[in-house]
Amino acid sequence: MANLVTSLCCVVLAAVVVAYAQKRSQLVGRIQYERMGSDVTMQCGSLDNDASVSWKVNGTDIKARHRLEGPRLLLTQVDLGHNGLYSCFQNPHGERRDTINLRIGTAPREPTVTCRSNTYPKGFYCSWHQQHSTYIPTEFEVDVHHNQRALEVQRDPVHKNRCHVRFPEVFSSFPYRVNVTAINDLGRASAAISFEESNIVKPDPPERVVATPIPNNVRRLEVTWNSPSTWPDVDNFPLKYFLRYRPLIRDQWQHVELSDSTSHTITDAYAGKEYIIQVAAKDTEIGTWSDWSVAVHATPWIEEPKQITSTTEADPVIETKPSPAPASVEPHLGEAPAGGANRPLSISSTLVLGVLLLLFM
Amino acid sequence: MTKYLEYQLKEIKDTYLSYLGPPFNEKDFSPPRPNTTALSLPSAATRLELWRGLENRARLAQNQRAYSVLLAAVRELARSTLCPYLQTSLLHFCTGLDGLLGSISGLMTTLGYALPPPSAVSVGGSDGELQEPRRDGFWILRELQSWLWRSAKDFNRLKKRLRAH
Repeated sequence: MANLVTSLCCVVLAAVVVAYAQKRSQLVGRIQYERMGSDVTMQCGSLDNDASVSWKVNGTDIKARHRLEGPRLLLTQVDLGHNGLYSCFQNPHGERRDTINLRIGTAPREPTVTCRSNTYPKGFYCSWHQQHSTYIPTEFEVDVHHNQRALEVQRDPVHKNRCHVRFPEVFSSFPYRVNVTAINDLGRASAAISFEESNIVKPDPPERVVATPIPNNVRRLEVTWNSPSTWPDVDNFPLKYFLRYRPLIRDQWQHVELSDSTSHTITDAYAGKEYIIQVAAKDTEIGTWSDWSVAVHATPWIEEPKQITSTTEADPVIETKPSPAPASVEPHLGEAPAGGANRPLSISSTLVLGVLLLLFM
Repeated sequence: MTKYLEYQLKEIKDTYLSYLGPPFNEKDFSPPRPNTTALSLPSAATRLELWRGLENRARLAQNQRAYSVLLAAVRELARSTLCPYLQTSLLHFCTGLDGLLGSISGLMTTLGYALPPPSAVSVGGSDGELQEPRRDGFWILRELQSWLWRSAKDFNRLKKRLRAH
């Protein structure tokens, strides 16, 4: 008996839930996607052809040009302005019979696809985008083939238009083929690209580029950096680097290419001039150069100007900072000369030094 | 030794690149790979973990075998080419490849690894001829390119491992 009552209660509850859900979907509206520029017909529920209905959009009267044909509402040459929640009410009592969420959009066009490997030899990622918005929800399907085999594609958890693929093998002579299909309610469009493993390899820029002056060397700067953290195996897949530097006052860069080394000493810097330095990376055999790293600024070491005193003993000098430098670089001037009275400077020597510095500019 | 090999490799690569002219270099041209029975080329492609785990001897042996086959293939390609300029260039290229092969064999001997017996290496049909010279030529050079790229990485790995000992 108790079981019967429980079952009956469950059935009643289920019926209530279903009825509520149906009523709710009527209020929220079923979605109807239509092509921009087309003529649209909206049908009020499943009423007969001789039914008489009235329509409202978003609770107000329809202002756009329209026609009524029994239970149907006809709109011509629709545009985004026609978007809205359309409700129909059966005459004469005005019961709401249907709600339609009209969304105007376009069919998708061929997406633009690019692929790149910054984690060689682990894998590559592909991204795509639509040149023109479709205005309605559009999904994408991706498939990747290599040597007549379909590869597993992982969609990016964060970026909707990106996917990741692991390289099934390395040093392959066969091209990869990536096909991306854009799909929405109004149509679909595909684009495919083909590439070889070696062509899409482009590392991320080098990291933690640091440039420091070298004490007692007015023309040198020591630059160090790290390989990009996304490059998984720098031992077996070494990178080579390209360093460029110029004084702020000049436009022309100087370049140095380095293999398998993450440091370099610039030996021809202009004394006293602030430099801007950047580094790029590339696999030693394949692919393209990375983007340039973040620029760092540094000025070579400058000898501390001595304070003029009346005694022959050298007093401790006051440390001053040169032009402002970014956080990653801390140019520092030379320390107070050691040995106290070893190098007494006369006024004329100071003048000569100043002239020499000017000559270097 | 490996530095010398790398240098030779670069030279050969440059020679090869000056070759990617007609008739093999049409944009996006990728003919179907010939059936392995008709044209047996050693594939440079390998699973990453397998490649990493190769012992020095096996690594060198794979390179040695590959270039033996590829040398024979390029020689055959040169033989079947009608264009005299191309033929001369291919034969010149073979000299470089032969040098590379010699260096690899020399390195193997120095390290105490036995060289594989010199078997009759043939790429084409039973008479050694290429069935479809244009298509086969494309794949021979394509695979050669992959091998040259792979060898640079192989030699780099060998260099590091030999230094560590």
